[in-house]
Amino acid sequence: MKWISMLLLLANASFGASWYVTISGLGGDPEYEVRFAGWATDLDKSLRNIPDAQVSTYIGKTATKETLRKAFAEFAGKVKPDDSFAVFLIGHGTFDGTDYKFNIPGPDLSAAELAGWMDKLPATRQLVVNTTSAGGASITALQHVNRTVISATRSGTEKNATLFARYFVEALRDPSADTDKNETLSALEAFHYADQKTVKFYETQKRLATEHAVLEDTGKGEAVRAPSAENGKGLTAGRFPLISLGNARKFSPEKTKLVEKKQDIEGQIDKLKYEKAAMPSDEYRKKLSGLLVELARTQEELDK
Amino acid sequence: MRFLLLSLFCVTSCNWAAAPAPPSPCEDHRKHGRREAATACFNNLVNTSKNPALIAEGFWGLKNYKAANELFRKAVAANPKDPHVRVRWGRMYLDHFQKVDAAGLFEEALELKENYAPAQLGLALVASESFEEKAVEMAKEALKNDPTLVEAQELLARLALEEGNELKAGEEAEKALKMSPEALDAMAVMATIHMLNDRDASEWTNRILKINSSYGQAWSIAAHFFVINRRYEEGIQMYYKALELDSGLLETKSDLGVNLMRLGRDVEARKLLEEAFAGGYTSAATVNTLKLMDSYKNFDTLLTPKTDIRLHKKETALLKLYFQPELERAIATYEAKYKFKLKEPVRLEVYPDHEDFAVRTMGLPGLGALGVTFGTVVAMDSPSGRKPGAFHWASTLWHELDHVYVLTATQHRVPRWFAEGMAMHEETANNPEWGDRFSVEGITAIRDKKLLPIATLDAGFVRPKYPAQVTVSYFQAGKICDYIKERWGFDKLLEMMNAFGAKQTTEQIVEQKLGMKPEQFDTEFLAWLNKQVGNTVTHFEEWRKRLKQSVALMKEKKYDEILKDGHEIRDLYPDYVEAGNIYEMMATSFLEKKDTESAIKELMAYAKIGGRDRDVLKKLGKLLEDKGNKQEAAAVYDRINYFYPMQDEELHRKLGDLWMDLKNAKGAVREFSAALGSKPVDPALAYYNLARAQKASGNKDDARESLVSALENAPGFKPAQKMLLELTDK
Repeated sequence: MKWISMLLLLANASFGASWYVTISGLGGDPEYEVRFAGWATDLDKSLRNIPDAQVSTYIGKTATKETLRKAFAEFAGKVKPDDSFAVFLIGHGTFDGTDYKFNIPGPDLSAAELAGWMDKLPATRQLVVNTTSAGGASITALQHVNRTVISATRSGTEKNATLFARYFVEALRDPSADTDKNETLSALEAFHYADQKTVKFYETQKRLATEHAVLEDTGKGEAVRAPSAENGKGLTAGRFPLISLGNARKFSPEKTKLVEKKQDIEGQIDKLKYEKAAMPSDEYRKKLSGLLVELARTQEELDK
Repeated sequence: MRFLLLSLFCVTSCNWAAAPAPPSPCEDHRKHGRREAATACFNNLVNTSKNPALIAEGFWGLKNYKAANELFRKAVAANPKDPHVRVRWGRMYLDHFQKVDAAGLFEEALELKENYAPAQLGLALVASESFEEKAVEMAKEALKNDPTLVEAQELLARLALEEGNELKAGEEAEKALKMSPEALDAMAVMATIHMLNDRDASEWTNRILKINSSYGQAWSIAAHFFVINRRYEEGIQMYYKALELDSGLLETKSDLGVNLMRLGRDVEARKLLEEAFAGGYTSAATVNTLKLMDSYKNFDTLLTPKTDIRLHKKETALLKLYFQPELERAIATYEAKYKFKLKEPVRLEVYPDHEDFAVRTMGLPGLGALGVTFGTVVAMDSPSGRKPGAFHWASTLWHELDHVYVLTATQHRVPRWFAEGMAMHEETANNPEWGDRFSVEGITAIRDKKLLPIATLDAGFVRPKYPAQVTVSYFQAGKICDYIKERWGFDKLLEMMNAFGAKQTTEQIVEQKLGMKPEQFDTEFLAWLNKQVGNTVTHFEEWRKRLKQSVALMKEKKYDEILKDGHEIRDLYPDYVEAGNIYEMMATSFLEKKDTESAIKELMAYAKIGGRDRDVLKKLGKLLEDKGNKQEAAAVYDRINYFYPMQDEELHRKLGDLWMDLKNAKGAVREFSAALGSKPVDPALAYYNLARAQKASGNKDDARESLVSALENAPGFKPAQKMLLELTDK
């Protein structure tokens, strides 16, 4: 994607810090306590490998509403507009027909309360990954411009414990989740990865799927199962860098020209893809092939 | 199919409990083909009667089921102790394809009046629709309680013919004709017996037409028997004849539509089904078949000179890689074995939704858990239609294709036991790991001496006397063919097949081709079978007890004790590869003791005896890979493809890599294509892997196309870029 090239070029310059908050709620029974805490711990480990990442993880007893309220108030004072801020909810959620609540020790946390805290954060790139049961009911309260909301369930009526979190955490460790091979896993790629794995789990087990993950990243309208250009969802999520899998590089002035050329070709490829439906497939493949060869040659030069 | 839907009823007020009532004028008109008079008579009942039961009869006669239903409800409320009204209401439900409701009313009638023959007949009719054994019992009971009940006698004739017992069917029909010289359906059974044997049936058809010149139902009855004997083309001609005589036979239209659909004649099928539906015949078969045909738009058609494969669009990319070559291989094998070529391509339909597949098999006795054959059309479940390991698609494909050859060679004149036996035989003849394992049901049947004599083995398929009898009959039939092949050679089976085609009976063929009486054959076959499986049958209880102990030992992690007795337990019932099998317990125990070689040996034994747990086989593959035995590992992973190639991109990718390492580029192309067809999480990598394999197999143009697709997904994917330049620059 186009923004990645910019990221490579301008690494350490334009983009701010990455903030990650993981909250693992109550399990209810020992099996779920262990499962939720395990996923949160794994996620924490992956996130802490990111250089300069600001990682805060709250598991079990530490995840009380009061603690979280204070923490978010503190984040609001530290986070900058250029920063990215991601929140992960792991555990059980409930929906009483009106309000979604995340089950944590003491009073539960409502979607509206979390949204209120996040609204105060200056970060212009925000992400909420609600992997809890009934999380679909939290989307309306949480959706906001420049905020991607991912939910493991599409509505408050999907009340069974979910598996989405397991695969979302796995995405951060599996290089194959980076489907565009740009060495950065976006929130959109992680969503696709976790969703596909979850769907396959239920299909293989011949079990009726009790969770259907959705994504909303425009701040308006319904969350969707399959974000695409057609439904206008996924652009913001695709630009949210969840985790970097490679090393940011600085280029000499000579190579900067090649980088610019590369970006230009990438732009042409993106444009061609948008025009795909409106042109004969042979013509599309021919043009695409030509651009890809040109891009490969440029990359070869760049890597010398 | 329902046989006789009309019964007797009073026209004016009468004592409903009295039995039996004289024929009504309305019924008499209808029976003799005086349609206008019958309609006028039913209208008259509706317009002039004060009795709700009679008005209901009038509406029913006019096919106004809704109004009839309401009136029957009122009639029952007015006469709550009258069993006859309930029976008539039940019969109306039966006519309106509501078996469960009908059965409920017949049961209620029997509660009101014990041994009430019309209710027993009703239950017999309900049971007959599902080919249940109790149909015979209930019909006999009804006749015992009312020896004048012609319809029950006619039903017994039909039931005997469904079992393939023509002699008995003829005798039962004769009895019905003695009870009533106008027993049309008994005549239809007699005519059918003649037709099934290619004899002139005009004596009976003329008698039928003399009584009712438009009695198409007789040909519908004949068609039913042709269909259940798998003689679909002839059955279809019978249905057309029935409609020629009476175009208002909606059930016949539906049945004809269903059978045309089965043979792939979709345009005619749809027209007839839509006509039946529009006429109010909204049975489950009609509706479901129309729905199934609507779903055909979701299928891809892959054509070659010898095959016509229909795969669901969502599975085509993956399944074509396996089904196409396997079908071609099976056709080539059978052409050589059966010594003839089919005149038309085999059509293979693969259904991911088991319910769709089930629609294909509706109305056939003892058929179709996994696959079904209609002429040269084979329909089967997709591997995705069931849990992994629950069925072996390749084995099923070979089984069904064998039917195509045997049915074609014999022009469908072959008993069920032989057709199924040959198909079961071919499953394991093709690959000993395929086919069904010796099951607990089989063991129990042998132990309890429930195997049937060869002469009556068909009954085990058509009307089973106990729940597992169909399965046991498949097993027995397969073993009989194994035995004949082993003792006399495969050509003897071909001789028998041709003799069946020449209309000889099982008894005649056993005597002439095998040189012994059927009873002697049974004795010698059982002795042979006993040598094969007698040890397992004899020690079954001991095996069960010891396996249970092993499971307990596993829980306690007493691995040495498992290993001490493991082989002995395994040898008592080596075919047991289901959950909690000894092979896995032993392999786990060996692994706990760090003896990987022995663990591999146990799991290889599991795989070779037909173990189909995907996870266990993958574990074996991994152990072999770790030992550097790539050839065996690839063979183990490849086994999985033949029972569940679905939902496992990782398996295909791994196997593709192994085939690449083993210089099997063709195999690698298939596996990487399968990975791509498995909706991979990482499509760029999947295309790139495919390109690698295509390049290795010398197909550089395809490789280049795959690389373009890889880079379309991920333009900056460096390995793909590198290979693209390499291929472009060359």
